[in-house]
Amino acid sequence: MKTLQTRPGFSLKIVVLALLAAFGSAHAADDEIAALIRPDSSVSIGAAGVTGAENERSFFGQYNGLRRQDAYLLLDLDVIKRDDATGTWTTFQGRNLGLDTREIRFGQQKQGDWKYSFEYDEMIRRDPRTINTSLVGAGSTAPVVSRLATAGSGSDVNLDLKRKNTTIALEKWLSPSLQFEASFRNEDKNGARMFGNGMACTSGSAPSPLCTTGVTQWALLMLPEPINSSTQQFDAKLNYASDKLMLSGGYYGSFYSNQYQSMAASINGELSNPLGNQMGLPGNGPALGAGLRGMLQNPIALPPDSQAHQFYLTGNYAFTPTTKANFKYAYTHAAQTDNFSVFGGAPGGRSDLGAKVDTSLYQLGLTSRPISKLSLLANVRYEDRNDKTPIAYYNVEGNPATTAFTNGNYSPKRLNGKLEGTYQLPDGYRATLGFNYESLDRGTFVSTNSVAGLSGLRQKSEETGYRMELRRSMSETLTGAIGYSSSHRSGSAWLKPLSLSCTGLGGLSDAGRGVIVGDPSLTSITGCATFNNGIYGVNNIFPSSMTDRQRDKIKMSADWAATDQLSLQFMAEWGQDNFSSPGTKGLRSSYMGFYGVDAAYALSENWRLTGYWSRGDQTMHVDHSTGYLAALRNLSDSYGFGVIGKPMTRLQVGGDLLLIEDRDEYKQSGGSTANNNLLANLGGLPDVTFRQFTLKLFGRYDLDKTSAVRMDLIHQQTKLNEWTWGYNGTPFVYSDNSTVTFRPSQSVTYLGATYIVALP
Amino acid sequence: MADGRTPSCTNCHGDSDLHTNNPAKLKERPATDRSFGKNSKTPVEARNESCISCHKKDAKRSHWEGSAHQRADVACTSCHQLHTAKDKVADKRTQPEVCFTCHKEQRAQVMKPSHHPVMEGKVACSDCHNSHGSIGPKLVKRDSVVETCYTCHMEKRGPFVHSHEPVNEDCGNCHNPHGTVAESLLKARPPFLCHQCHTPHGGQVAQLRGQLPTQPTINSSGKSGINYTQARGCMNCHTQVHGSNNPSATNPTPQFNLR
Repeated sequence: MKTLQTRPGFSLKIVVLALLAAFGSAHAADDEIAALIRPDSSVSIGAAGVTGAENERSFFGQYNGLRRQDAYLLLDLDVIKRDDATGTWTTFQGRNLGLDTREIRFGQQKQGDWKYSFEYDEMIRRDPRTINTSLVGAGSTAPVVSRLATAGSGSDVNLDLKRKNTTIALEKWLSPSLQFEASFRNEDKNGARMFGNGMACTSGSAPSPLCTTGVTQWALLMLPEPINSSTQQFDAKLNYASDKLMLSGGYYGSFYSNQYQSMAASINGELSNPLGNQMGLPGNGPALGAGLRGMLQNPIALPPDSQAHQFYLTGNYAFTPTTKANFKYAYTHAAQTDNFSVFGGAPGGRSDLGAKVDTSLYQLGLTSRPISKLSLLANVRYEDRNDKTPIAYYNVEGNPATTAFTNGNYSPKRLNGKLEGTYQLPDGYRATLGFNYESLDRGTFVSTNSVAGLSGLRQKSEETGYRMELRRSMSETLTGAIGYSSSHRSGSAWLKPLSLSCTGLGGLSDAGRGVIVGDPSLTSITGCATFNNGIYGVNNIFPSSMTDRQRDKIKMSADWAATDQLSLQFMAEWGQDNFSSPGTKGLRSSYMGFYGVDAAYALSENWRLTGYWSRGDQTMHVDHSTGYLAALRNLSDSYGFGVIGKPMTRLQVGGDLLLIEDRDEYKQSGGSTANNNLLANLGGLPDVTFRQFTLKLFGRYDLDKTSAVRMDLIHQQTKLNEWTWGYNGTPFVYSDNSTVTFRPSQSVTYLGATYIVALP
Repeated sequence: MADGRTPSCTNCHGDSDLHTNNPAKLKERPATDRSFGKNSKTPVEARNESCISCHKKDAKRSHWEGSAHQRADVACTSCHQLHTAKDKVADKRTQPEVCFTCHKEQRAQVMKPSHHPVMEGKVACSDCHNSHGSIGPKLVKRDSVVETCYTCHMEKRGPFVHSHEPVNEDCGNCHNPHGTVAESLLKARPPFLCHQCHTPHGGQVAQLRGQLPTQPTINSSGKSGINYTQARGCMNCHTQVHGSNNPSATNPTPQFNLR
C-alpha cells in the first residue's frame, strides 16, 4: 500500500495519455486535453493560529504538532513533472513543512522500468498530561529525586516523543517478468514517556536487611523513561511473474539499537509516608530505610538491542483460471545479545542473555471455483518457533538464598486451518459455510522458570469453530447479509507453576521444581513434585488466553440505495465470550454489541450531505481472586455530519461535525463482607466519561486558473472526567509529592489561511 | 508511449461496441461491457479481473485470492478511484475515510483519547494492514500481529531475561490498537486488565485516593487498592510489563518485572 502512496498523480494522467496514444496525436493540440494531461504542481503557503493556553489543547495537540505555539507557518509543496521524451516522472512533495510533523518526499520513476524515492517524515507525540515534580533530569538515565514540600509546588514537565523516519526505496524491472525491489528505513526515536518504579516492604522477594522485618514502608516514584533509540528495517526481494506463477523471494532484516541500557534514580533526602508527610519526622514513622532506598535506586533495565533476519519465498500459482494457490515460507533468525555489563549480579558465566530464536513459517492456500456457482477456499498455516536461549539462574531469592529460578523458554507451535465454501443460490441468495481450526502447543515449560501470580498454565490449546453467512441482493439497490460464527477453545490439563507453593494443601511444601501436573482425579496429596490438585481451588486464577472459551457472534448489515440521491447503510453485531476454568476467578465473560447507520444524500450535483450514528456497548466480567467481582461496561456513541458543496463556480465549501460520547462504568461487588461494606461507603468507582465535539469548516476560492485561497476553521471541545491521576480534587501523589494533571475540560479553535498557487 | 503496458479504455471496460457505436442512437449510450460504478451489473470477479490482469505481478498482492476482502466480494473500485487525479485511498490523510465506509467500529475507536494518530493523518490503516491479503490474522501487514507491531514498537520485541509471554503471543491480548479511553490503548484499566490473568496482593477492591471513608495511616500497605488502581495501576511497581532484560540475581530479583 505504501507503493500506492508513492505514485501520485498517476491515474487520470495516464488514462488520458493512453487515450492519446490510442486515438492519435491530433487531439494533443486540443488545449483542453493538454490542460488535463499536464501534471498539476502547486505550492501552498499560509499561517495558522490556535487559541487558548497550551494545556487547553493537550488532547487536540497530542499528535498534530499544534500544541506548543500559538501561531504556525503552513507550507505544503506538490511538484509533479513528466518528461515527455523519456516518460520519466519526477515528484517532490512537502507537507506540514512549518510543523514538527513535516514530511518530505522526492522520487523519480519511469513506469515499467525503474523507480526510486527518498522520504523524510517526522512524527511527534506530546503526552496530554503534565507532571508537576522536583525531579532533576527527568527523561535522563540518572534522574535525581527530592521530595517537594507540598504537592503541586514543583515545575511542570511535559513529555514528548519524537520519531524521525528516513526511507529510501528503489525498484527496477530487469526484464518483463523480473523485478528487483529494495527499501531501507531508519527511525530515530527520542524523548521520554511515563514510567517509574515502586517497592513495598515487607516483601518476600526483599527479605531483611532490604526490608526491615516488621516495618511497613513503601514508595512510588514517577521516573520518565528516557528514549534514544533507532530502528532499521531493510527489505530486498526479487519478484518473478509469468502468466501462471508469481514468485517473490527476499530478505527482511530488522535491527533495534538503544543508546540507553538502564536508568537509575538517586534519592536525595526523605520521601513521603502514606499520609503524604515526610518520613522520619516525629509521628511520621521511620525514616526511609536504607534497604528500600537502595531498591528504589537499583538500575532499571531499558529495552535491549535486538535483531532479526528473515528469508522468505512467497507467491501464487494459477493451476487453471479458476483454481489457484498461494504460499509462503519464511525462516527467521532473531538474536538478542545486549551486554549485561551495566548491571550487577548476573549469573556466573553469562555476559549477555545470548538469546537466539529460530522461527519457520509455512502457509499454503487454495481457492477454486469448480462450478460457476461454487467457490471453495482451503488454507493452512504452521508456525514453529524454536527458542534456543540458554537457561540460567537469574533469580536467587531469600537471605540466605533459599530458592532459585531461571529464565523461561517460549517455543510455541501454532497451526491454523480454514475451509470455506460459498454457493450461489436461487433468488439472489449466496450462502457461505466455513470451518476454522487452531492449535497452539506452547511446548514443554522450563521446569525451573518462575511464573508470577498465576495458578496454572496449559501447554496446549485447541480451538474449533464455524461460520455461516447468507447474503442476498434483494434488488439492484438493496443488499443484505446475516452471519453467525461460533467457536470453542479448550486445552490440555492444567499445570502448576513452580512459584506457587502448596501451602494450604495439607501443609506440604514444594518438594521439587517446575511446572507440575494437576490431576483432579486424585483425592489425596502425596507430594507437590508429582501433582497438585490444589490448582482446582475455586479462588485460583488462570490466564484468560489459556482458559476454555465459547465464542458466539452474529452480524447483520444492509446497503440500500433508496433513491438516486439517497443511500443508507445499516449494521448491527453482537458477540459473547464465556470463559471457564477450574476456578471461578479472572475473566469470566464478555459481551459486545455494535450498531450503526450511515446515510449519504446528494442534494444536487454541487451539494452532498453525509451523516452517521453508531453505538458500541461492551461489558467484561472480571473477578479478582479474593477482592472483588467487577462488571466493566463501555458505552460509546459517535455521530458525524458532513456537507460539501460548490455554491459558486469558483467557491468550494465543506464542513464536518463529529461528536463522541463515551462512558466507562466500573461496577464492583466485594467478594467479602468487609469489602462490601467498604464499597457501600465508597460508592464504588465513579464512571469515566469522555466527550469530544469537533467542528471542521473549510472554504476554497479560486482567484483565477492558477491561484486560490483557502480558509480552515476547527473548533474542538473535549471533556474527560477520569480518576486515574486524581479524584474529586484529591490528586494521586507520588512519594516525592510529584503529581500528574491535565485540564479535564478543553476548548480550542484553530484558524488557518493559505494561498495556493499552481507552479508552471 | 513510455510504458507499453499502459492500458487503454477497452482493456478495462471491454470492447464495448454498443457503447462506442451506439447503433440504436440512444440518447443515453449503452453501458460499457464492464462497468465499475456503484450500480454496476458486472460481477465483482469480472470487474476485479480487469485490474488483476495487470497488477497480479505485484508481490504485495500475491495473497489477494482467498483474502477476507476477496471472499467478501470487495471490488477494487470499492476502494480505489481511477478517473481522478488523486486516489483517496492512496493518500494516508484520506485513506481512513475509505476504510471506514465498512469498518465503522474502528471509525469510532480512533476518536477515543488514546489512539494512534490516524485522524491526524500520520498513521494510515495500510501502515498495519495489507488490504490486498496477507498470511497474518486480520490482514496484518507482516506475518503476525506482534511482527506488525514491532515494526514501530521494536523495543517490545526482546527476547528478555524476564519475558511476559502474552507480549510474545499477541499484543492484542492487552491492547486495542484502534483506540481506547484507558491510556496506552489498553483494553481495560489496570488492575482489571491484569486481574484477568493474575491474582496478586490480597483482597482489596479498587479504590481512589480521597474516596476512602477511612484515611490511610502511616502503616498502610503499599500493596493497596489505591496503588494498583490509580496512576499507572499495577505498573506503578511492575513497570517492566513488556519484559525486563535486567540479569540481576540479587534480591529483589527482577522476575516480577519490577526493574
